[in-house]
Amino acid sequence: MPDLTFDDVCITYRTAGRNDEGEIAAVKNVSLVLPAGGTLGIAGESGSGKSTLAMSVLRLLPANARLGGRVLIGDTDIADLRFGELRALRWAEASIVFQGAMHSLNPVRTVGQQIVEALELHVSDAWRTDKTRKARALELLYAVDLAPAKAEAYPHELSGGQKQRVMIAMALACEPDIIIADEPTTALDVIVQMQILDMISALVAQRGISMLMISHDLSVLATACERIAIMRDGELVEVGDAYEVCTSPQHPYTRQLSEAFPTIGDPASRLNPVTRRTDAVTDKTRELSDDVVLEARGVTVTYHGRGKPLAAVKDVNLSLRRGEILALVGQSGSGKTTLARTIVGLQRVDEGSVIRFRGKDIPHRGRALRDFRSEVQMVLQDPSAALNPKISVYESVAEGLRVQRFQGDEQERVAQSLADAELLPPERFFRAIPQELSGGQRQRAVIAGALAVGPQLLVADEPVASLDASVRGEILALLLSLRDRLDLSALVITHDLGLAWNIADTVAVMYEGAIVEYGPTEQVLLDPQHPYTRRLLAAAPSIERRLA
Amino acid sequence: MSGTTATAARSPRSMAWARRRHAFGGFCREFSHSRAGMAGLIFLVVVILLALLAPVLAPSWMLDVTKLLEQPRFAPPSFAHPLGTDDQGRELWVRMIWGARVSLLVGFAATAVSMIIGTIVGIAAGHFTGWTGGLLMRIIDFFLVLPSLILAIVLSSVLSRGVWTIVIAIGLTSWAGTARVVRAQTLSVESRDYIERARVLGAGHWHIIVKHLLPAVLPLVLANTTLTVGSAIIAESTLSFLGLGDTTLQSWGSVLKNSMDVSAATAGYWWYILVPGIAIVLVVLAFTLIGRAVETIVNPTLRSR
Repeated sequence: MPDLTFDDVCITYRTAGRNDEGEIAAVKNVSLVLPAGGTLGIAGESGSGKSTLAMSVLRLLPANARLGGRVLIGDTDIADLRFGELRALRWAEASIVFQGAMHSLNPVRTVGQQIVEALELHVSDAWRTDKTRKARALELLYAVDLAPAKAEAYPHELSGGQKQRVMIAMALACEPDIIIADEPTTALDVIVQMQILDMISALVAQRGISMLMISHDLSVLATACERIAIMRDGELVEVGDAYEVCTSPQHPYTRQLSEAFPTIGDPASRLNPVTRRTDAVTDKTRELSDDVVLEARGVTVTYHGRGKPLAAVKDVNLSLRRGEILALVGQSGSGKTTLARTIVGLQRVDEGSVIRFRGKDIPHRGRALRDFRSEVQMVLQDPSAALNPKISVYESVAEGLRVQRFQGDEQERVAQSLADAELLPPERFFRAIPQELSGGQRQRAVIAGALAVGPQLLVADEPVASLDASVRGEILALLLSLRDRLDLSALVITHDLGLAWNIADTVAVMYEGAIVEYGPTEQVLLDPQHPYTRRLLAAAPSIERRLA
Repeated sequence: MSGTTATAARSPRSMAWARRRHAFGGFCREFSHSRAGMAGLIFLVVVILLALLAPVLAPSWMLDVTKLLEQPRFAPPSFAHPLGTDDQGRELWVRMIWGARVSLLVGFAATAVSMIIGTIVGIAAGHFTGWTGGLLMRIIDFFLVLPSLILAIVLSSVLSRGVWTIVIAIGLTSWAGTARVVRAQTLSVESRDYIERARVLGAGHWHIIVKHLLPAVLPLVLANTTLTVGSAIIAESTLSFLGLGDTTLQSWGSVLKNSMDVSAATAGYWWYILVPGIAIVLVVLAFTLIGRAVETIVNPTLRSR
């Protein structure tokens, strides 16, 4: 079993094109060792160079990348290998679980064929004939807890978690010594994430494989790895024992990363997400008014597609008071996004459902609908997709005002909204187009666009799911301060219980279209009654859980 | 954002215009770097200038057969007759620059008709789902499978003969492909979150189409335009060649047809066929070069291919 050694690795990308930027250093002087049989996690935010570093192990970098320093597997320098030698090394000695299993599988071949493909390219004594290869594929599927019948399935017939399992089976196919897992659980929900992580850890321990895991989520790495390295802007910030790094971080950046995800039950993080601001501590004892803004009774939504009708939301009752933040928690497919779309009137409800906004049924067409839209606004999950890339921030924020035929000083209102969303000074952002902004700024611009029309209720669908950890706290703090300053109500949809703990007054847990538990945050999260809530809580990766 | 621009850019409208000017400037700069695109553009400008200056360069009496009795017939290209003469003693170069007027006019006008119909129907088919979209798609399919040449022949024999009939015939038969491309792009833009966001803000169909969909499909339409101009010029030549154009007007297609009438190919009058033929090829090529250059600028993923 060889060690994997990064010796003073520098990787630069040469870029050409209109905005000729010359050379970009993606990885700067990184030295790391992954001993045989060990597990190492690399954490960092987007753009920190962690994926670039991992891809360099198999020389999978694009043609415009230049590698400095040495990457060694055992005593072999990757850079010295001829193409044939490299092919032999790829997959047989080191394999990769790629990021985003959804797109890494060939949609027109069965997963069995795809696993066998790797075996055919690296024939060894154990699988010399077609029959033994097929047997090996089934054995691999068994190892990742998939039924043998799944070998005949096409990728679109599998769920996200199952696809990820297939990717892992493929990575294990040729009995590699090293596995590189690039964000193996991103885009999976908490329960599946826990299953996958447990499975990877068990397989790695069982077979004595060394693993390099990359993630932006420190708690995921803490669950699966012995040692953790933190990267930032291509540089290695800190490296050490997983427990040490997570509990007593030396570098301020590591501290920021480890604090970004709160521990449920920790009073310090209750209604107090981690930010760099000092005025964020809100009055935790504030009383909620009895003024009910939104009321839903017996809401049912059925999709009539091909095949039998599918009830996405079943008999949901909710009420939201003025100045209340309600977190709707559930895993993917639980119907929470459908419910949100229903509440903003984008989705028709079935007969018998009642949704009342300020005591009136929500309208479905014409002027009344437009007026309703100025009262209820939605913030979508991915801010880079929610802004038209060709339109400046000013235009995007003013769009709602123009649609609503706003009478008054448009520019003043836009500036006010940007300031409310804490994009300061607002004038600086007027002419910026979305690609010039960071992820957090984009989400603020989306929020400003929603605020411009002066809503009473904000529906936010996974508002921080696609943002980096350090930005997460800032956006959550913004939502809290909006509630305090503008007395807004908010319905926040999330799969992340920590988020609910951070900002929500009440929590509703949704499972298969129905609300299974609903009550004040402390009550639901600290004293869960329903078994599903307990499963969700147990699955949430946290740093303390494993190391306690 | 420096202090100097802050005062100038107060109103949103002027800001939008400034941005568009800037974008257009960037586009021109980039286009000027594309050698093939510039070659096509320069060639086209020369042809257009020649066509516009036709009455000055070659007064219309030069086409009047009654005044050309002393001219030799079927004179091969020489110093005295640069591109040779035709069966009635007319100078071929005179016929070519007069013919360029009709050919280019038909090319541009027919393309405009085709693009306008194609864009409107394409966006509508992509934006309106369900019944309306389905019906529009069937209409597009209908025009797509219609043998366009035959429809054009029927149209130009039913309507009065003339340049505009040919324009309508070509325009009506060539928009379906554009509509399909535009619909595909519309569908992809339609699924973006910013359309959903606009809807939540209370936007209606008109706002979404004009503000988000049209700007997103326009680059595609522009690139498509240059390619369609080429095929429209060919279509015009075809129709004139088949004798469906206005016989009193010169066009490159009618020159070709005349050459066929006198069996130029078998009689050895090669210049009679090659000159209009090559002219058509070059103009279409120029449009294609421009189209490709525009396409790579507006769609950066095509670069380096």
